[in-house]
Amino acid sequence: MSEAPEQVDAVVGAPAAGLPSAPGNVKTSELREIVKHLLRNRAAVVGIVIIGVFILASLLAPVLTTHSPTDTSLANRLQPAGSGHLLGTDELGRDLFSRILYGGRISLTIGIISVLIGAVIGIPIGALSGYYGGKLDMITQRFIDIMIAFPGILLAIVVVTVLGVGVQNVMIATGIASVPIYARLVRGSVLSVKEQSYIAAARAAGLRDFAIIFKHVLPNCLAPIIVQSTFQIATSILWAAGLGFLGLGAQAPTPEWGAILSNGRAYIRTAHHLTTFPGIAILLMVLGFNLVGDGLRDALDPKTR
Amino acid sequence: MSAPEPVVSVRDLKKHFPIRTGVFGQITGHVRAVDGVSFDIAPGETFALVGESGCGKSTTGLTVLRLTGATGGSVRYRGEDVLAADPSRMRELRRDMQMVFQDPYSALNPRMTVGNAIKEIVSAHGIATGAEAKERAKEVLVRCGLQPYHVTRYPHEFSGGQRQRVVIARALALDPGFVVADEPISALDVSIQSQIINLLEDLQDSFKLTYLFISHDLSVVRHMADRVGVMYLGKLVEVAAKSEFYREPLHPYSQALLSAIPVSDPTIRKKRIILKGDVPSPANPPSGCPFHTRCQHAMDVCSRIVPELKPTATGRQVACHLVHPVS
Repeated sequence: MSEAPEQVDAVVGAPAAGLPSAPGNVKTSELREIVKHLLRNRAAVVGIVIIGVFILASLLAPVLTTHSPTDTSLANRLQPAGSGHLLGTDELGRDLFSRILYGGRISLTIGIISVLIGAVIGIPIGALSGYYGGKLDMITQRFIDIMIAFPGILLAIVVVTVLGVGVQNVMIATGIASVPIYARLVRGSVLSVKEQSYIAAARAAGLRDFAIIFKHVLPNCLAPIIVQSTFQIATSILWAAGLGFLGLGAQAPTPEWGAILSNGRAYIRTAHHLTTFPGIAILLMVLGFNLVGDGLRDALDPKTR
Repeated sequence: MSAPEPVVSVRDLKKHFPIRTGVFGQITGHVRAVDGVSFDIAPGETFALVGESGCGKSTTGLTVLRLTGATGGSVRYRGEDVLAADPSRMRELRRDMQMVFQDPYSALNPRMTVGNAIKEIVSAHGIATGAEAKERAKEVLVRCGLQPYHVTRYPHEFSGGQRQRVVIARALALDPGFVVADEPISALDVSIQSQIINLLEDLQDSFKLTYLFISHDLSVVRHMADRVGVMYLGKLVEVAAKSEFYREPLHPYSQALLSAIPVSDPTIRKKRIILKGDVPSPANPPSGCPFHTRCQHAMDVCSRIVPELKPTATGRQVACHLVHPVS
């Protein structure tokens, strides 16, 4: 077969032939390739910067803020932005800037941890259900149907009620509430991927089901999983806010973005900064995760690399 | 073809797909994709299954390799019952029975370099691991006309013909004895087809391979096959050595198929047999001979009695009442 000329000057051809690399080396070089591609993607870099700034700001909150996030001062209540308080104060005179920075610690953690919980439980359920089909699929999917029948927030409320109130339980609750979303999403992707000939080829080669699912099926379901995860981070933060609003999440003085937002709602006509700034914070963070997610999706796909 | 022990021996193989309807998925019928197929393949032989789309030839290939469960019948590989093998024995058998797929674009995992894909199966069977497996991958790629550096490439970096070479290399990496080639060239450009055919023939010689070659292209089959089996609606209607088959097809369906092959000499006027109507649905096959609805020689008996695939005086097998009159 005639070779295309650009294929002759192989990037890794000659050196790789000389020194046989261990499987570990292959993995790290692939990881480096992914990171390299991610950093070449301008939108993804913007996303990384946004997320990085949020994480740094939350971690450095004690250094960056001039006021305590919980100290009240009724004399200074509902001050607009710039009046000695960078982003103004809330209805109890607490510094909004401090509250948003400290709140980022909780909100970011809730968003990330709950998505991890949802993905780690939901993806294998969806994968097994879709791959094996039959009775297993039937039973799992009816169970998922029941979970999906409840709105996510309601499901989270049920879980918090069972586990007890607290930020940690809110993470678990929002995580569990997102399990059916992942399970259904992954099952759908698996159903289409498993009909591809390369899955039949893997079976014809005598690979074990476990290897087929994790090395051949799931990697080809990544795109929707990543997109869903970036959105799910935002959804989880909002669910957590809802739980906080109902008194089931972060408790009163603890700053948390969703809680700040819902408290500020009452003053939206007179002191809009109470909803605007935490809203912008949530928006920016979701945007950051979306940009990184899109970049990651492309970087993980050999076709777009 | 009775002297050597057959490599593959298929008896009365059946694959019926249930048709489910309604909320609760009641089974309301079956698509008889493969309906009682029997054949033997001798060592080093290429047995070609031909027939039009939907006649069950690909399903036969998948069922022989147990990539889809059979509804009935048996498949023996060197005397061993493939359909009854337990999972661990089956994995060992798979090393010996490989497949080349029709569409090289969907037969390779887009997220795996071809080197890793080959390494994975080579190490799964304990043939080689680590660097040794990588060497093995390079070796089979080179054997199939690719370059050693191709191991680091992803499938989308190859052309269709190159991909099919990768698919063939992957099948060969386990050093199989029997390969099912399911329309290995029908997705390729005509200019590439002959290269792949030559590669398959070349590999057959060097590795003593036995092929089940599935195709609808009778010109290719004429070039490749030793024996030909014609399928119609899930059944074998004729099995014959290639030379006899092309010289004198006995079944009316085979005659119609062969009359459709274009001839390169424009001065030769050939009488084409044009079949009327469509292939009946395999969910609701006609009574008697499956072909009687379209056969120009159909007789009364054809719609009543299913003709069996029986040997003729010359050792060929035909399922037709014209050849084997009902007494």
